Amino acid sequence: MTSRFSYGRIAHAMLWCGLAVASLAVSIPKIYSGATAYPLRPTGPLHTCDSYLKFATGASGVSKDLISIFQSITASKRVIIFTRKDDAFSSGLGMTSAYLASPHLVRLFEINGTHPDNELSKMNPDEVAAVVFCRINRPAWLPAGKVFGSGLEVVSMPETVRR
Amino acid sequence: MSALALLGAFATLLFAGYGLLALLVRQETRFSLTEQIAFSWLLGTGAVSLFLWIFGLFFHGVLLRGSVSIVCLSLGFVGWRRMVPLPPRRTPKSFEIFLGIIILIEITIVFYLSFVHTLGWDGLLNWEIKARYAFANGGVLPATYFSDSGRAFSHPEYPLAIPFTELWLYLWLGEADQFWAKPIFPIFYVVGTFLLVALGKRLAGRTWLGLLLAAFLFFVPQITVEVGSAIAGYADFPLSIFYLAAIGCLFCAAEQHNTVFFRLYAACLALLPWVKRDGVILWTVAAACGVFVILRTKRSPLFFLGFLPGLLIICGWHFYLSTMHALQPADFLPINPETLGSHLYRIQPLLSAFLAEFYNLPTWSLFWFVVAVGVVYLLRRMPDPGALVLFTALIVPIFLYLLIYVFSSWPSYLDHVGLSISRLLMHVAPVGFLITILAVCRGSAKNPTRVHEGGMGTCGSAGSERTPMVELA
Repeated sequence: MTSRFSYGRIAHAMLWCGLAVASLAVSIPKIYSGATAYPLRPTGPLHTCDSYLKFATGASGVSKDLISIFQSITASKRVIIFTRKDDAFSSGLGMTSAYLASPHLVRLFEINGTHPDNELSKMNPDEVAAVVFCRINRPAWLPAGKVFGSGLEVVSMPETVRR
Repeated sequence: MSALALLGAFATLLFAGYGLLALLVRQETRFSLTEQIAFSWLLGTGAVSLFLWIFGLFFHGVLLRGSVSIVCLSLGFVGWRRMVPLPPRRTPKSFEIFLGIIILIEITIVFYLSFVHTLGWDGLLNWEIKARYAFANGGVLPATYFSDSGRAFSHPEYPLAIPFTELWLYLWLGEADQFWAKPIFPIFYVVGTFLLVALGKRLAGRTWLGLLLAAFLFFVPQITVEVGSAIAGYADFPLSIFYLAAIGCLFCAAEQHNTVFFRLYAACLALLPWVKRDGVILWTVAAACGVFVILRTKRSPLFFLGFLPGLLIICGWHFYLSTMHALQPADFLPINPETLGSHLYRIQPLLSAFLAEFYNLPTWSLFWFVVAVGVVYLLRRMPDPGALVLFTALIVPIFLYLLIYVFSSWPSYLDHVGLSISRLLMHVAPVGFLITILAVCRGSAKNPTRVHEGGMGTCGSAGSERTPMVELA
């Protein structure tokens, strides 16, 4: 009897019960808020990309359109993507576009400011299939491309474009 | 149709895993149904992803899928012929049923959360991207992917266990579907709870204790709802479960001269570097623990062969990357004494950052405090090789992770720490649960229930389980 209900055992049980209760008290509000923060989202093969792109541009179902553009351009040429330094949205858009641009090789340019004229002027248009501007202004001399929501524009490069 | 395809994909994974489990167990030890499911899943994901990678060097398309399926089914046939013996059935106590229902509800919530959330950032751009590109290229990652500087952000050098498990689903589904890739991750959560229940039973001899601790897994926010949690499609949680399996098996192998657990430890150990690059660090620590157990328990030098599969995977993957001219990762500076000397000043701020993370209540709740109390209990059992294994498996990776940030090449190394520290600590968190189990069942080495309670064998009894009934089975 003594060994079964010794003070040590009681203290041991109380310590662990106390820790368990305290853990639950701290965890439950956090878990509850995390579990109830989001509604059910639409399913689909590209649902994560669509969610990211909608968050960054405000436009829905962008992934499919982006894929169709990338599929319509010459596969052997690169896709150039411009993003803005120190802008997480721009960077996220750039990487998501790069993800969707497969099987094209891509080149990501992270620039200061919002005008990529210098970088673009140095490029050989014959090697570029499309240019993607992520929260970056398209230079006026480049033909207008397809705009998705706010901040994402894709310009398919025709063979003849020269500055 | 999707449901049937998914069923086919998961069934073949489990067949392969069960076959491997049967080969490793050789009917020498009884494993509960939950243990069999857990190990079948871990070995199945590891094996199928490895088969896809290796067979992909020779075939692609239908031939690749067909050949991997045939191997999976063959392994399943082996498993059917050499079934892993189950322990005798026993009636669960009402408290155990209650805890089981709680765990079931938690698992349902984790599945729900994984469907509600999208894949996390790394889940999409580090892991799923590889599955998608491989699927579009007939099941093989395009050679250009490894050297495409524009996609260096997706870490082409990362290993393929998780993306190629997703690829397996895609091959069965017939399309790359980000939504249906997600069930893989809550399944790892299920496997984690199953392992905690089973190891709790084996370590403490009490089923309710394993069930109780498994129920508490849900209440660690980093595991359930935080960035990089079990629902986000990251490799960190699966890695932590492989580590739990490896260390749990090593503990069981250390406690008694049990070869079956050592073989299972070797299999899970080998897969650590295949799940994530950081797995090499965990592999090193777990292998060092394995060497200690072999020497301490005076086992045959042949046991050192258990480290060979892991070494083969590490070397094979690095050889493959160099053949593909893969881009070198740019997150860390060259690791050498000069860099260490010139960056030693970082250690103190890094220690502060790590300590701050331990009492980050929104992320960890009181988990690390509880584990710290558990470690104090564990220190009293220190001459015990199993206890030393658990202590080392928990503490050493944390120090090694701290040390690697000394070599961070990020402009602000503390930002690097802030972004990844919680996920790195998650790798060892399930081992913290094992320590807590041992602490709660204080003095279990002297506890007679540990060996005799219930129908399923514990570590203590597993070594002598080769009964005539098992032999006949």
